[in-house]
Amino acid sequence: MSSDPVLVLDDLSIALATISGEVPVVEHLSFSVAQGSTIALVGESGCGKSMTALAIMNLLPQGFRCSGGRILFEGEDLVAATPSRRRALRGNRMSMIFQEPMTALNPVFTVGEQIAEALRAHQNLGRRAAAARALDMLRAVQIPAAENRIKAYPHQLSGGMRQRVMIAIALACRPKLLIADEPTTALDVTVQAQVFDLLARLQEEMSTAIILITHDLGAVADIADDVAVLYAGRCIEQGATRVVMEQPLHPYTAGLMVCVPHLQPGVMAARHRLLAEIPGMVPPLGQRPTICAFSDRCTRVGNDCLSEPQPPLFTLAPTQAVACLHPLQRETTA
Amino acid sequence: MTMIPMPAHPEMLGPANPPHAPGPSPPLPSPASPAAEIATRLLRRPTGLAGVLIITGFLLAAFAGPHLYPGDPFDVAGLPFSPPGEDLVLGTDYLGRDILAGLLHGARATLTVGAIAALITLVIGVAIGALAGYFGGALGTALMKITEFFQVLPTLLFAMVLVSLFGQTLTVVTLSIGIVSWPPVARLTRAEFLRIRGLDFVKAARAAGAGAPYLILRVILPNAAPPIIVAATLAVGTAILFEGGLSFLGLGDPNVMSWGLMIGQNRAYALDAWWTVALPGAAIFIAVLGVSLLGDAFNDAINPRLRRRT
Repeated sequence: MSSDPVLVLDDLSIALATISGEVPVVEHLSFSVAQGSTIALVGESGCGKSMTALAIMNLLPQGFRCSGGRILFEGEDLVAATPSRRRALRGNRMSMIFQEPMTALNPVFTVGEQIAEALRAHQNLGRRAAAARALDMLRAVQIPAAENRIKAYPHQLSGGMRQRVMIAIALACRPKLLIADEPTTALDVTVQAQVFDLLARLQEEMSTAIILITHDLGAVADIADDVAVLYAGRCIEQGATRVVMEQPLHPYTAGLMVCVPHLQPGVMAARHRLLAEIPGMVPPLGQRPTICAFSDRCTRVGNDCLSEPQPPLFTLAPTQAVACLHPLQRETTA
Repeated sequence: MTMIPMPAHPEMLGPANPPHAPGPSPPLPSPASPAAEIATRLLRRPTGLAGVLIITGFLLAAFAGPHLYPGDPFDVAGLPFSPPGEDLVLGTDYLGRDILAGLLHGARATLTVGAIAALITLVIGVAIGALAGYFGGALGTALMKITEFFQVLPTLLFAMVLVSLFGQTLTVVTLSIGIVSWPPVARLTRAEFLRIRGLDFVKAARAAGAGAPYLILRVILPNAAPPIIVAATLAVGTAILFEGGLSFLGLGDPNVMSWGLMIGQNRAYALDAWWTVALPGAAIFIAVLGVSLLGDAFNDAINPRLRRRT
């Protein structure tokens, strides 16, 4: 795998301006994605995954801003770049797929026009060349009868097909970086698997770096090379997917793994096992303590957890870092 | 993950064909464009069909009429106040001018004023509403204050002032009608822009690198178009009425035959020679009715689609 990082997040912080001052949304987040590899951002709703994605795309909603750190895209600091420079990158060198394919397509244009539009705007292709490439893209995302579907309007397509069209639009300009913000949440399970397969295959062909935001830990295990676990705006564990999944160090990560439902035929019928859960809630914005934000839900909480500020990520295994005073492995091996 | 050596640009997507589409794919029903869909639904409604027929009839009268029934409508064609059916089909007015010639020639002026005034209304209203709705903030507030300023002026009075200031020509009349009628269109456009700019596909377009002009013109405006088109259609009817009103008050263009001018010049004799006023009045009535029917039917035709889309 190429080690050339496409995107480096260096100590990125995002804050929301409120009347009573700035509230941190994401704090000191650092990770990097290499060409052709995938990093997954996982965590509960509201922990800052989507905000990170929007910050990279420079699409933060009003009131939010990058309050510190750098976003290096192919060596260029995006936080310092001009809006027009960032707009030129968007859709061309970096693109994004959204969660909701039912509403993310413009209802008044055909899907072919919408794919071609990106090519004409960013790659200066003529109308005919763009239309031909749009057809190629529709075939590449495995839409059956692509030559007919190219003239279809979004409402004539199913959710899965629309998400394929979104992927086609996002990848039309062969971006270096693709951000997929919960790309399959709105789709049914069989289609989810197809979409992930498709993403993985296109990634191999185009050697695009992917930032995958998802709740689907199965998908993470399947296609992500690295994983970063976010909790309350902080990265609490990061590392190679296989290592993190097999031997989570942070109690929260371990909790997440246990919360994944597994099909166990017969077991449900016997009314035995309940799905595990992590009691409590993520602390809301503006009420995040400087101590470990997970401490009030953690089963391993110690006195030092409640008095000392949360430690920064430190490397425990060669490809695994954790921000915890009582990580799982250290205590079990010690 | 292994890197597969990648062939050059367009070819690389070629061999990646789906497994389930080897042969020629079965033909799908060719998808209808939204515009064609609306047109079909419009013509299926009795009101829509009636509106289209009435307006087509008037357009034919306006553009073919003067050729089929030549002659200057200002020429004296017979005795004053000759009733319909005696010498001329629709009689003459107080100067002995042919009413039918007046109606046919007047149709062109009246419909042109209606269409162009509605167009001016549309252009000003959409421009101001779109900018206010898209950008919001200080610019949006300022633009809406301007809109409110125009909205509180009594429209007919304001149009009368403009015409008396700048002269009684058809151009000034048309411009004045356009200038006094745009505020509702601006408010409507702004409301639609505020609604649509928050939708996902606008965010997606922004994520694809679209800038403000593209987002306004190609992403939001086409989606905001249906109610705006309805408003513009209805504005044609209002503009025709306005022209009639101004002419009735003697503020129309005296050198161009229009229905309003006919009513205005003959209004003193309305009780003695009803046809001089009633016939052009009926023409205005039916034209405005046709436009309104069309606008309403259009509104109905687009509504189910809006509901289905959400």
